Amino acid sequence: MLILDTRAADRLAGFPTFLRANGFAVGGGDAVPVLQTAERVGVLDQDVLRWSLRALLCGRGEEWRRFDRLFDAWFLPANRWQKPERRDSAAHGLSGAQPGGGASGHADDDLAIHPRDAASRDEVLSSADFRALTEREHALDIEALMRRLARQLKHIRLRREARARHGRRLDLPGTIRRSVASGGTPLQLAWRDRRRVRPRIVLLIDVSRSMVLYSFFYLRLARALSAELGDVASFIFHTRVTAVSQALHDPDPWRAQERLHLIAQGWAGGTRIGESLLQFNREHAPRVVHSRAVVIVMSDGYDTGEPALLSAALAQLKRRARRIVWLNPLMNQPGFAPVSQGMQAALPHLDLLAPGGDLASLRAVLPKLVDALH
Amino acid sequence: MNAPRALELAELQQELARAGYIADPPLAAALLLMHDLQRPLLLEGDAGVGKTEVAKVLAQTRNARLIRLQCYEGLDAHSAMYEWNYQRQLLAIKLLEHDERGLQQKEQDIFSERYLLKRPLLEAITGDAPPVLLIDEIDRADEAFEAYLLELLSDFQLSIPELGTVHATHRPWVVITSNGTRELSDALRRRCLYHYIDYPDYDKELAIVRKKAPDIAPRLAQQIVGFVQGVRGMELQKRPGIAETLDWAAALLRLDITTLDSDGAERIVQTLSALIKTRDDRAAFPRDVVARLAAAC
Repeated sequence: MLILDTRAADRLAGFPTFLRANGFAVGGGDAVPVLQTAERVGVLDQDVLRWSLRALLCGRGEEWRRFDRLFDAWFLPANRWQKPERRDSAAHGLSGAQPGGGASGHADDDLAIHPRDAASRDEVLSSADFRALTEREHALDIEALMRRLARQLKHIRLRREARARHGRRLDLPGTIRRSVASGGTPLQLAWRDRRRVRPRIVLLIDVSRSMVLYSFFYLRLARALSAELGDVASFIFHTRVTAVSQALHDPDPWRAQERLHLIAQGWAGGTRIGESLLQFNREHAPRVVHSRAVVIVMSDGYDTGEPALLSAALAQLKRRARRIVWLNPLMNQPGFAPVSQGMQAALPHLDLLAPGGDLASLRAVLPKLVDALH
Repeated sequence: MNAPRALELAELQQELARAGYIADPPLAAALLLMHDLQRPLLLEGDAGVGKTEVAKVLAQTRNARLIRLQCYEGLDAHSAMYEWNYQRQLLAIKLLEHDERGLQQKEQDIFSERYLLKRPLLEAITGDAPPVLLIDEIDRADEAFEAYLLELLSDFQLSIPELGTVHATHRPWVVITSNGTRELSDALRRRCLYHYIDYPDYDKELAIVRKKAPDIAPRLAQQIVGFVQGVRGMELQKRPGIAETLDWAAALLRLDITTLDSDGAERIVQTLSALIKTRDDRAAFPRDVVARLAAAC
C-alpha cells in the first residue's frame, strides 16, 4: 500500500470541502474515499487521479463539466491558492482583485474555501434586488396557496392502473395471493384502480422589462412550489432561457439570492418569447418535459420577436407536454383582450389562458387551473 | 506506484476493445474504481451514446452474468425483487390438506424458497458468482422505487417478510443508467460513482464504426462519421446517437452506396430514416442540405 506523505494527504482531504464550497453535493465524509482512491491509483499520474476523483465526487452532469477547472485550481501548484471558479464574469472582476500566488497563510486559505462572502455583498446592493424573493410580506399566504396546489395535484389520476385497496376492477393475481392464507378460498379481495400520479410542473417565467412588476411574485411562487414538490423545473426567460430550479431550491434563502445573481444577466431587458421557447425546446425540453409534464408559462405576451416563431415553438412543445397553461398578469385589468401579437400567436396552442398577477387572482383561478391539468 | 495503475487502465481499455467497446480512459478509470471501492456506477448521457452497452461489455470481460432490470413508470418492488408463486402455493395447500404435519410446518413449507420467484434484484445477490446488475433508465421509475433501491445498494441485502433477510452471497457490479428525464435523489447519487457519456468525437466514432461494421470501406466510414458529426452540429430535436450511425451505415451498405457526395444526395435522402427520427427534424433535411453536408465530408 502506498503511504501518502502528510502534505499530499492534507491536500487531498481538503478537496471535498473545496468542492462543497463550489456548490458540489459532497460532504466532509467524502475525504475517506478520496484518500482510499488516491492510495489505489497513486498521486503521480495526474490524469488517472483526475478521472478517478471525477467519477467519485461528481453526481450530475453540471458538476462533471465544472470538475476539471476546480481540480486544476486545487491541485496544480501554480494556481494553488487561486480563487474558486465563478460563473459570472462580473463577479470575476470583483473577486479577481485578490492577489494570486504566495502562501499568505491561514486567512487566505479560508477565503479560498468560502468565496461567497466579501465580494457578494456589494453585488446585492448594486444589481437587481433579489431580496424581494424572500420578503416576509405574503410569504405565508404564498406558501399556503402553493401547498394547496401541490395537494390538489396529487389527486389527478392517470390512465395507468396499479394495485389499490379499493378500486374498480378485481386484481386476480393479488386475490389468489391473498387466498393462500385461507387455504385457497378467496376471502379477501384485491383491487386495481387508476394510479394517481401527479403531473410534473414546468414553470417558464418571463422576466423581461414589461414584466418587472410581476416577475418577483412569480419567482416566489416558483420557490414556494418547489419547496412543496421536489421535481418542479423552473426557468426564467427574456431573450434567452436560463434554468433556475437549483438556485430556487436552495434551502438557504440567502444563498438562493446569491445563485440567482450569478445567472440573472439580461434581467429586465427585452423579450423574445418565441426564440426563448425554441431554445427551451432544444436544450431543456427533452429532459424535463414528458407526457406527464404540465408547462406553465407566466408572461404578458409582449414579444419583440416573430409571432410565427412563438407559434411554432408552442406547437412543438405541445406535442411533448401534457398541458400548456399560460398565466397572463395583465388579464386582470378591465378591458383586457388577448390582442397582442404574441398572445394571438399563442392562443391556439394553449389549454388554458388565465389571469394571475397577484395572490387574489391566482387564488381565484386555482380551481380552473387544476381542472385544466386533469 | 502509478505505473501499474496506468497499465491496468490500458489493459482494461484493450479488453473492452476486444469485446467491441471503445472506451475512453476516464470511463476505464471509473470502471476500475468501481471494483476498488465496491460502489455502483451511475451513467448519464443522451439516448444512444452507449450507456447500456457499458454494462453488457463489462459482463463480457468479467465473464459474469448480466442481469438486467429495465425500469418503467409504475415498476414496483414485486416485479423488481421477488414474488411468491401463488399458483403453486395454492396447489401445495390443497395437497397438504390431508397431511398429518402441524400447521406451522405446513406454513413453513409453503413459504419456502421453492415457491419464491426471483426477480432481477434478488437474483443478482443470490447467485454463485458476482453478476453485473444493469438497472436501466432508472429515471423512469418512481421516486419510491429509488428509495427501495437504496437499501439494496447500501447493504446489499433484501428483506422478505415471510423468509427473513437475504444477504448477498456476492456483491454484484451495479451499473445504473439514466437519461435525465427526472432529477435523481442526492442520496442515490452520493452512493454511486458517476460518469457522463457525451456524444463521441470524430476519432472515437470512427473507431467504433470500424469496429462494429468492418465491411465498410475506410473512406466511406470516414465520410459517414463526418456526415453524422455534421448532423449533430445542427439544431435538431433528437440528435442521432451511435446506434443511429451504425444503422445508417448498414443501410448505406445495403443500398450499395459506396461514397457520399453531392451527386448521390437523392439516394442518401432515401436512407436518412435510419438517422433522423422525428418529422420536424426530417423537414430540416431537404435535398440541398444533404448535398451540402455530403460534399463537406
